[in-house]
Amino acid sequence: MATVVQLPRLSDTMEEGVIAKWHIAPGDKVKRGQLIAEIETDKATMEFESFDAGTVLELVAPEGKTLPIGAPIAVIGSPGEDAKVALRAETGGPAVAPTPPHVPVSVGAPTPAQAPPLAMRSPAVDPSPVAHPATAMRDDGRIPASPLARRLAREHDLPLSEITGSGPRGRVIKTDVELVIAGRGPAAAASAAVDTPLQLSQMRKAIARRMSQANAEIPHFYLTIAINMGRAIALRDELAQAEIKISYNDLVVMGCARALRQHPELNAYWNGETIVRRGTVAIGVAVAVDDGLVVPVVRNADAIGLREIAVAVKDLGTRARERRLAPPEMTGSTFTVSNLGMFGVEEFSAVVNPGEAAILAVGAITQDAVVEDGKLAVGHRMRVTLSCDHRVTDGASGARFLATLRGLLEHPLRLLA
Amino acid sequence: MATLQIREALRHAIDEEMARDERVFVIGEEVGHYDGAYKVTEGLLAKYGERRVVDTPIAEAGFAGVGIGAAMAGLRPIVEFMTFNFSAVAFDQILNNAAKLRQLSNGQFTLPIVFRGPNAAAHMLSSTHSQAFESFYCGFPGVKVVSVATPADAKGLLKSAIRDDNPIIFFESEVMYSVKGEVPDGEHLIPIGKAEIKRPGSGVTVVTWGQGLAIALAAAELAQAEGLSCEVIDLRTLRPLDDDAVVASVRKTNRCVLVYHGWPYGGTGAEVSDRVMRLCFDDLDAPILRVCYEDLNMPYAENLEHLVIPSPARALEAIREVAYRQH
Repeated sequence: MATVVQLPRLSDTMEEGVIAKWHIAPGDKVKRGQLIAEIETDKATMEFESFDAGTVLELVAPEGKTLPIGAPIAVIGSPGEDAKVALRAETGGPAVAPTPPHVPVSVGAPTPAQAPPLAMRSPAVDPSPVAHPATAMRDDGRIPASPLARRLAREHDLPLSEITGSGPRGRVIKTDVELVIAGRGPAAAASAAVDTPLQLSQMRKAIARRMSQANAEIPHFYLTIAINMGRAIALRDELAQAEIKISYNDLVVMGCARALRQHPELNAYWNGETIVRRGTVAIGVAVAVDDGLVVPVVRNADAIGLREIAVAVKDLGTRARERRLAPPEMTGSTFTVSNLGMFGVEEFSAVVNPGEAAILAVGAITQDAVVEDGKLAVGHRMRVTLSCDHRVTDGASGARFLATLRGLLEHPLRLLA
Repeated sequence: MATLQIREALRHAIDEEMARDERVFVIGEEVGHYDGAYKVTEGLLAKYGERRVVDTPIAEAGFAGVGIGAAMAGLRPIVEFMTFNFSAVAFDQILNNAAKLRQLSNGQFTLPIVFRGPNAAAHMLSSTHSQAFESFYCGFPGVKVVSVATPADAKGLLKSAIRDDNPIIFFESEVMYSVKGEVPDGEHLIPIGKAEIKRPGSGVTVVTWGQGLAIALAAAELAQAEGLSCEVIDLRTLRPLDDDAVVASVRKTNRCVLVYHGWPYGGTGAEVSDRVMRLCFDDLDAPILRVCYEDLNMPYAENLEHLVIPSPARALEAIREVAYRQH
């Protein structure tokens, strides 16, 4: 079967190239390693030597035209083979009855009924030294893999997209899966020092799209404040003795919901033309999951009690990590809380979710030397950073919201009021 | 254990069964006075006489029909085709009478008959005398089809075939009658429907039969030299197929290559390929490949014949390919 020669990646930064000059013409015999073209990349004009041997059936790429990496540039095969068949096969076109195998026999009789192809001759394994992408995903998104490799990947809960296929045309085969199972897959890739583009999950794509949009469109400003968590800690301990389990984050969620009721200018969003005030308070709680994060929503958070918030957040978080949340449970938040305190992060700033005016980034509670009533003491501090959409609100409004939040968390009994 | 040629092993089987059961007789062209075109029936006329070793005119449809009638009347004929190429003339007798009369008579008649002779390409016999008939005779119910490649199998399976109450198509090979091998002494019977591992291995399953066996074993040897272990399975019976033997091997190796004398379109190779695909789908790490004749009428010229008939080199190429070995 004929081989489609693709535009190779000749430098790390090369994304497209131009055939500066062809050194072969249709009908020429080509040997492996023979100079067949000069290719202009972003850096230089480089010589391209053939990986394949055979007869040039067709030069697909004209000289001078800019083409992406991987674009078919020529077809090499046996004399008389139809280059179109190989090109269609390469581009995943409709299955075409292949031409009968060329056999050097001049029989007077007509060609016998054409058999389906037997794939007896190897579809030349791509000998290119260029790293395959992590997967050789086809246009239709399906990853070529042997049935056995699929079963092994399924049994070990490994996404095929993360396994580099070493078979023909990037097919994932048994040994590829076994390497990953043995924990040597990624390491092997690293030792080969190749950059491997990954196949993105839909979640990753959504995060990339929304965060790019947010950073490009929303003029952010950031306000950080330290909150004395001494009483909040005492309250949590007291509730724990009564076997009521709440987290500091639950207190923060409740505090934000109550503070938003007092500062509705932050419970709003910019719709492109004007500011829209939200009718209800719904707090999104960022939950880290494998490969990204999701933001399930606690609805009417300003109207429900601490225990209800704690139960809701726990349930949503558990199901988020198990990927069992329904889409409506992750939409409609009016304000978001993102907490990295459990990782020891003391302070950070978050990106405002489009559709909201602000997001609160919550750090860890740390023991600090604090001055209280003119005396040095050990206190418990938590730093929070409010990121705001400057189109919707201003520094003073954000500061007033933070002051209210601090008051609620430093005197948590006020949350009952 | 005696070392015999395949023709001798076949002769011993016929001789022993004729001695054991007087209903068994041989009929065909030149089986008697000429001692058989390939000397399989040598000496049988002298031993058993003209009533049990029957020379016929060149009339395959006729003597196949005589054999079928004799079987219906209670005898156990062994019908020799000088080669299976000539069985084409008798195809209607085999297809419509031998294969169907047991069912059509609701079991009133059994058809204990063996049709035997060489099958598939030999050497420079051109297209009309190089037919491979597996695909025809495995293509309908009512018969069992056997293909032998060693003296031991030839003897053990022919004896079982003669004792079977169903029509048996028994394939031999012109180029293999002189192949020698050890044959167990005494009563030696091999059950119909059982494949045999002719060479154990772990890397690639090579399924073969008849003349394919020698090619497969040679290819396995070449592969071994490259560090690739092949398990060679000789089907021996083509209908009914021994699925279990093939499946067990492919589950172990995850790869399968078929090596056989025959054409690629449909047929026994395609049937095995289909079964492996269905029964071992989740165990396959590579597509099943078939190494067989090119899809051409067999050329007469020796150089071209070599290109059409599978070779160890071609089989090795397929073995490497399913094992993802690059060369």
